[in-house]
Amino acid sequence: MSATKRVNIFSLSLVRGIVFQILGTLVGIGVVTLIRLLMGLPAWKAEPAGVFGAFLGVLFFLVGAGTIRDWYKMALGEPVSDHHAADPEQPGWAKYFNISYDHKVIGIQYGVTSVVVMLLAGSFALIFRAELARAGLQLIELDMFNTLVGLHGIVMIASILLGVGAMSNYLVPLLIGASDMAFPRLNAFAYWVNVPGALLVVSSLFLGGFDTGWTGYPPLSARAPLGMQMFFLGVYFIGLSSILGSLNLIVTVIRMRAPGMSYFRMPIFVWAAVATSIIGLTATQLIGLSFQMVMFQRLFGMGFFDPAKGGNVILFQHLFWFYSHPAVYVFILPGLGIISELLPVFVRKPLFGYKWIAMSSLGIALVGFFVWAHHMFTAGMEEYLRVPFMYSTLLVAVPTGVKFFSWVGTMWRGRMSFETPMLFTLGAVSIFLLGGLTGPPNATVATDLHLQDSYWIVGHFHATMFGGFVFPWFAAIYYWFPKFTGKMYNEKLGKLHFWLMFPAFYLMSLGQMRVGLLGMRRRIADYDPALGFDNTQTLVTIAGYVIAFSVLLFLFNLVRSIRSGEVAVANPWNSRSPEFQLPSPIPEHNYAEHPFVVVGEPYDYGLADAEYVRFGAASEPAAAD
Amino acid sequence: MTTNVTSEVRASYAYKTATNRLGLWLFLLSDSFVFGGLLVSRFYLLGNTRPHLDQTLGLIVTAMLLVSSFFMNRAETAIAHGDEKTFLRGTLITLVLGVAFLLGVVGVEWRLAPFGPADDVVGAVFYMMTGMHAFHVLTGVIFLGIVYRNGRKGLYSAEKHWQVEAAAVYWHFVDVVWIFFYPALYLIGTVAG
Amino acid sequence: MKHFILVAILVAILTVAVGTGLSAIGLMPEQASLQSVFIDQLFQKHVWTISFLFALIIGFMLYSIVVFRRKEDEQGDHFEGNTPLEIVWTIIPLITVLYFAYLGSQALAEVRRADPNATNITAVGQQWSWRFEYTDYGFISDELRLPVNRQSLIMTTSTDVIHSFWVPEFRVKQDALPGDGMERELRITPTKVGRYKVRCAELCGTQHAYMLADVIVMEPEAFDQWVQEQMQGPSGTPVERGAEWYQQFGCAACHSIDGTPRVGPSWKGLFGEEVTLADGSTVIADEAYLFESIRDPQAKIVQGFETVLMPPTGQSMTDEQVQDVIEFIKSLSEQESD
Ligand code: HEA
Ligand code: HEA
Ligand code: HEC
Ligand code: CUA
Ligand SMILES: [Cu+2]
Repeated sequence: MSATKRVNIFSLSLVRGIVFQILGTLVGIGVVTLIRLLMGLPAWKAEPAGVFGAFLGVLFFLVGAGTIRDWYKMALGEPVSDHHAADPEQPGWAKYFNISYDHKVIGIQYGVTSVVVMLLAGSFALIFRAELARAGLQLIELDMFNTLVGLHGIVMIASILLGVGAMSNYLVPLLIGASDMAFPRLNAFAYWVNVPGALLVVSSLFLGGFDTGWTGYPPLSARAPLGMQMFFLGVYFIGLSSILGSLNLIVTVIRMRAPGMSYFRMPIFVWAAVATSIIGLTATQLIGLSFQMVMFQRLFGMGFFDPAKGGNVILFQHLFWFYSHPAVYVFILPGLGIISELLPVFVRKPLFGYKWIAMSSLGIALVGFFVWAHHMFTAGMEEYLRVPFMYSTLLVAVPTGVKFFSWVGTMWRGRMSFETPMLFTLGAVSIFLLGGLTGPPNATVATDLHLQDSYWIVGHFHATMFGGFVFPWFAAIYYWFPKFTGKMYNEKLGKLHFWLMFPAFYLMSLGQMRVGLLGMRRRIADYDPALGFDNTQTLVTIAGYVIAFSVLLFLFNLVRSIRSGEVAVANPWNSRSPEFQLPSPIPEHNYAEHPFVVVGEPYDYGLADAEYVRFGAASEPAAAD
Repeated sequence: MTTNVTSEVRASYAYKTATNRLGLWLFLLSDSFVFGGLLVSRFYLLGNTRPHLDQTLGLIVTAMLLVSSFFMNRAETAIAHGDEKTFLRGTLITLVLGVAFLLGVVGVEWRLAPFGPADDVVGAVFYMMTGMHAFHVLTGVIFLGIVYRNGRKGLYSAEKHWQVEAAAVYWHFVDVVWIFFYPALYLIGTVAG
Repeated sequence: MKHFILVAILVAILTVAVGTGLSAIGLMPEQASLQSVFIDQLFQKHVWTISFLFALIIGFMLYSIVVFRRKEDEQGDHFEGNTPLEIVWTIIPLITVLYFAYLGSQALAEVRRADPNATNITAVGQQWSWRFEYTDYGFISDELRLPVNRQSLIMTTSTDVIHSFWVPEFRVKQDALPGDGMERELRITPTKVGRYKVRCAELCGTQHAYMLADVIVMEPEAFDQWVQEQMQGPSGTPVERGAEWYQQFGCAACHSIDGTPRVGPSWKGLFGEEVTLADGSTVIADEAYLFESIRDPQAKIVQGFETVLMPPTGQSMTDEQVQDVIEFIKSLSEQESD
């Protein structure tokens, strides 16, 4: 055994994938040019060449990285193995850059990608926020500003989807006592397809950008620069990942639960993940279709949304929001699941109204399918749809309310402690409350006539997304950090992170709402100083930078703790959940050595001798304390 | 339903096949949203009009696709009873009919149609719907090709033939989609233009 | 029970504090239309509901955080739920939101209430300017003048991409869509004489931030007088009229007349020059070329401007108006040779 293990970087799937992607892009460009030449057309046309190149690039990536090797073998009827053990010749970190079928590795891959992508998207926000600190144009040009806003939006959303993937992949098999997901190969594929997709989305920055925001409405998107196509194509592949990941998750939950774990004995996060996946599995197809239609309009002149050819621009918005509204519930349901999962642990009390919380997740997901047109109240869609969609939209407040009241019920008469994960959980509840409560004014059509496309909406959705995703996501990372790494994070830095981010967030979001009501429009680089909110804008910018600084602290904390943190005990939070009965970090094959049966309720905190899981006699877990 | 399953059962072919089956059906559910979206778009944009198409050709390709599903069903039943010969013949006939359908739609109908994809929204809808469907038929044909090849190598048996089942279910799905697309394109409404 | 009384007091105090605080700082801009009255009333109800619900949850949370914090290694009370309570907090919000939906449709009906005598105006959005066609009187203006306390029916439409008509002081907003039959209506009854701005509220490309138009609400007599003036149309020479059209049809958004770069080629010194087109060929900018460029902008694309599409505004201009513009463009070259 040599002390330093060396890695040939071309053996890493990530590197091979990217090399192949570049190659594929060039091949694609070449093929289109050749075909045009043979057809007697002017050889060079950027749009078809670029799009086909990008498309082929993604396929090449997937082949090069090795995601479809096993399927190819299966098609030929050759045997394949479900376990893809990490190469012992390589150092431990290398497995994260390689194809792995281990859901824990895939979960971490999702998580790290999510954080990296969030940094990128956050940096875009910091740039355009600097521009917005004062009226007038100081730093960036108009087109650049538009591109940055759109990229900030979509890359943040990609970051959320990846984060959701991280939580459901890492946690769900552990929570239900499975050794892995139902389809490990599909799981790896669903992760890896994000990488070339995300690269495409970011590449739009260098291909003229796009000036439509993340919503990509035609006809503007039908005439935007080539970057628009990269945006569409990239999101298309990220959407494919959502679909496949959701499918895998639903099957896993139905087929892989531990003995004795009936549906109402699953940890509550699993319910949230299932509700999320129902949306991801079905609705995602529609954003794919809508983007594909614009792509084809640009490539082949198909006039779906071109008024000159009898097309209709409103159709796009219906298709787009049919996904993109339910998608906002994809963003939050896992986060709300985390809140429900962590509260009982830190309150030492059962989750109040388990079944109601479980059902409210499904309720939100299902009602969420029937509310999309509330984004179109001023869009000039069919008049008669406004009122019914107002009713359906407001109905979502009911199941969401059930969650809030049940959380309060959980906290009531508990015994709370305030470690970093709990701080983020409590912060999430209050911020999501702010975001949720600013929803009904948008939903009652008359008021939305004023609010639509103003910064009030920007404030609304940052609050929902921070409360429903960002804060719970940080809570989850801190909470399960010992299980990922076997190390403990630094509590002081964690608390500092919270106490910077929490007030700064309120400042940012309330500031956005305030300027919005006063007439600040979305997606403008320069605003009228006569509106008189320069100073509020400056505060919003400062708050944005404080948030960014706190995120840097978070990163510093994690990196330092992985290198030199305290070694973590198995169950630092005294949790009843099965994964905390395993050693830290979790063994490679989860419960293979420690099978368990479920014998009680998941959240019976405060009840002496109440068991949730019972491990097989032969395999007394390492750390049941 | 699965709460008392031991790990031995989990590792069995039957349990895995049932898991795969669930996955396949969920995938088809997901896919049907694309086709649903296309249908909605068709009615949103064209309303009670339809493209000007060759009715005879439409009827012929539709009939071929429907008949192919029948043969696929026979093939699947045959392999479930261990009848390899009927299975192979059924698969081959399905495959040939599938290719004929593709030739009929993409090769002939696309040429005959008095409009191109870029002419107006009618053309756009027609080419998009038939194109997306044809893409699925094509993947189905490839899938059938694989099944046929593996079948000739004797890789399937009465007990183990999940790939055949999957190909069959997928093929029926593509067929059902066409049952909705055919009237939407050929029968409903008055001819546009 | 003691706990509940204390929390109730806390929630009451918080509600009043948040609610009065929010109402006091003046959330909305000036209220300048009849429609905004209904919208603001509804919004105010929302503000109080939000204040109460926020105070309710936060009140309970704060109280729990302080009173029920863990001192030693204790466990919480053991209770798992309470079905009657869950039903109550499902039903009450349900009734509340249904009530709000009712209020919302009432307010919407008020906002959309039609006055048969409304002044008809078509607001045409194009990248990146607004044009207002006074269809009752047959003239066009680049500023929106409205009579006070009289309803105006504004039909929004667009020649290129989606724009959105929004005057924050009037509260109402409507997207302007391209395409035949896509005109959408908006009713505004201004209640205060003054100057406001139409602010395009839908991202419409590079200059979206600057897509503004003046709104001037006038006394009815002054408005009528202005209408009379406008109906006579701009008199004067073709060049003067051309300059007028240049403003009114929004050409100024993209074409400068002094050579400064904008998204379209400057008109300064254009006439008679050799223009290089996107495909590399050249043409002389004579009258025929200019006429074609205005009527059918995509027929010949100037090199370097391939990515910006000029809107087909010229198609809604009369031949005389186009001719005036050409005269105006000519004049810009003549000055130079002086
Ligand atoms: C994480 C994401 C998330 C979540 C959870 C929500 C939740 C809600 N949203 Fe939000 N929304 C967005 C993300 C989200 N939204 C985004 C990204 C946009 C902009 C997209 C774009 O244009 O770019 C948007 C835009 C948006 C619009 C369109 C605005 C416009 O552009 O004109 C509307 C209109 O109805 C709306 C409504 C709502 C409502 C009613 C809820 C409800 O689900 C909220 C329900 C919760 C509560 C109400 C609080 C708790 C409940 C109680 C305490 C019970 C008692 C309550 C009552 C009796 C009221 N949202
Ligand atoms: C999860 C989602 C999410 C998150 C976390 C954020 C975070 C932030 N958002 Fe974002 N935002 C959106 C989702 C999100 N946003 C969406 C969907 C839109 C709509 C887009 C559209 O209209 O199309 C939007 C739009 C939007 C606007 C409106 C733009 C406009 O309409 O003109 C504004 C303006 O203030 C804004 C600001 C911010 C700020 C200051 C942050 C801050 O919290 C950011 C804090 C920074 C970080 C988290 C990263 C830290 C980075 C560093 C420390 C630098 C180090 C970098 C490297 C090492 C590479 N956002
Ligand atoms: C959205 C921006 C935009 C607006 C508004 C606009 N144009 Fe243009 N115009 C362009 C661009 C870009 C070009 C160059 C590309 C082309 O030829 O289409 C151009 C070209 C022209 C030309 C040919 C100039 C040359 O250098 O050869 C004329 C003439 C012209 N426009 C007239 C008008 C008139 C008249 C109006 C108003 C009714 C108008 N334009 C409004 C963007 C605009
Ligand atoms: Cu027009 Cu924004
Ligand atoms: Cu929504």
